[in-house]
Amino acid sequence: MDLLLQLFVNGVINGSHYALLGIGFGLIFATTRIVHFAYGPIFTFAAYIAWWLSGAMGLPIWLGLLGAVAAAVTIGLLSYLALYRPLELNRAPPLVPLIASLGLYIVLENLTGVIFGSGVRVVDVDYGIFFVGPVFFTSIHVWQVGSFVILGLGLAAFLRYSRYGKAILAMTDDPDMARVIGIDTFRITLLVFAIGSLVSAVPATLILVKNGASTHMGFAAVFMGFVAVIVGGVGSLRGAAAGGFVVGLVESLGLWKIPTEWQASIAFIVLYLVIMLKPEGLFSMARR
Amino acid sequence: MSEAILETKGLAAGYGKKRAVFGVDLSLAKGEKLLILGHNGAGKTTLLRAIFGLIEPMAGSVMLEGRDITGRTPAANVADGVAFVPQGHGIFKSLTVRDNLELGAFAENDKGKLPERLETVHDLFPILKERASQVAGTFSGGQQQMLAIGMALMHGPRVLILDEPSIGLAPNLVERVMEAIATINEKLGASILMVEQNVQLSLPLADRVMVIKTGVTVYEGSPEPLRDHVELMKLF
Ligand SMILES: Nc1ncnc2c1ncn2[C@@H]1O[C@H](COP(=O)(O)OP(=O)(O)OP(=O)(O)O)[C@@H](O)[C@H]1O
Ligand SMILES: [Mg+2]
Repeated sequence: MDLLLQLFVNGVINGSHYALLGIGFGLIFATTRIVHFAYGPIFTFAAYIAWWLSGAMGLPIWLGLLGAVAAAVTIGLLSYLALYRPLELNRAPPLVPLIASLGLYIVLENLTGVIFGSGVRVVDVDYGIFFVGPVFFTSIHVWQVGSFVILGLGLAAFLRYSRYGKAILAMTDDPDMARVIGIDTFRITLLVFAIGSLVSAVPATLILVKNGASTHMGFAAVFMGFVAVIVGGVGSLRGAAAGGFVVGLVESLGLWKIPTEWQASIAFIVLYLVIMLKPEGLFSMARR
Repeated sequence: MSEAILETKGLAAGYGKKRAVFGVDLSLAKGEKLLILGHNGAGKTTLLRAIFGLIEPMAGSVMLEGRDITGRTPAANVADGVAFVPQGHGIFKSLTVRDNLELGAFAENDKGKLPERLETVHDLFPILKERASQVAGTFSGGQQQMLAIGMALMHGPRVLILDEPSIGLAPNLVERVMEAIATINEKLGASILMVEQNVQLSLPLADRVMVIKTGVTVYEGSPEPLRDHVELMKLF
């Protein structure tokens, strides 16, 4: 029973991480229909910038986080402006931006390796360890859950109550109609790339503190974001967040009965089952 | 008629390299209701989208009150008092009626004007008030069309462009929508540029008619001569 409780808590912690990635990746995907795989190496690059500022230069970790956010937002905006935007203007079929995104993925990952080297980079941050009854967790875990709560609620409030948030919802629903009512869809696209990239920098910095940064860690990040979006249902951020928690919990609770070597495959199996059994996503609302 | 509020000269537009509209001259007088008729694929939607800036015109010009607005963005047009109700249901299906109407006024900087406009829209289509919290996608076709028109009015347009507002509606609903358009013209003073295929029910509304065939104007003038040929017009 204690083990199950611990696995559940671990699932919630990892679920928060996946949910954040799902929200960031999903916001870009739902609004622009761009499958932005390069979200992965942007996550990695952000983690390395946090390491460079905090681990190498010795600045406090919150400054590392700020640098990571700035770097992620800059590269996110540049990838839209320099890569996806010209393709859109040339009316390229949807497969072309997808391939371009994979190309950008490889370039960014190699660039990160060239700049920061290929070893694992760690930062030395003191963190607390807590026991609540039989359950163990650290202050980094608290931050992982806390950052999801803060960013998730913040984004939800932004979408619900602000003028630009509503414009994002409108564009997600129907981009052509959004233009008809006078929404500048180019600006909204820049906005979602900025917000989506900003969101990636937070879990990136926390993973740096927790496990260290490594060149290829972006794959798991974008893959989990993608899985969260598909499992939860495309077009709904609540769905993407819920999808992240489903994957986190299934992955963690699965350890109870399934050997550890299989943990990495669990997300893929969940993805496969959802696509087969409920392709519109577990939490999609009846729309359209 | 008095001076033109909206005018096109030799307007051509299409998709890729293929043209669908070939040099259309059009003039909408202030306060006028101009009806554009044409068969399926005649280029009516293409013409309206080129006027409104949703697609780039390939040749010719668009003028609003004598100023050249050719190729201007829809955002600029909306802010300048031109509203467009697209073909099909020009609404956001996943959002509530209230959110849709609010978004209709997205480009309005003077939010102080909105309560009054909302009241105007509610007076015109009371269902939009009664069902304010309903998700728009669950509305019937007629209700969705009313919402689409209501959204366009939230910006207080001087020119209202409508693309086949009667499409897919039962005849009694079409009459209801046509009445509303007449009211918008008379009470709110908006000039109307409307594309239709339902000749019978839209013709009574029109001050003037243009007929388009494969991208060129084949008739322009009073609706009177067409009235006697409604049967003929059905051939479109
Ligand atoms: N997105 C598009 N890409 C390529 N060709 C198009 C596109 N939209 C329309 N066309 C073509 O342009 C021509 C004019 O189409 P348009 O939609 O303007 O006609 P319409 O008069 O509005 O017809 P309907 O009454 O059926 O709405 C048609 O031949 C159509 O096939
Ligand atoms: Mg049409």
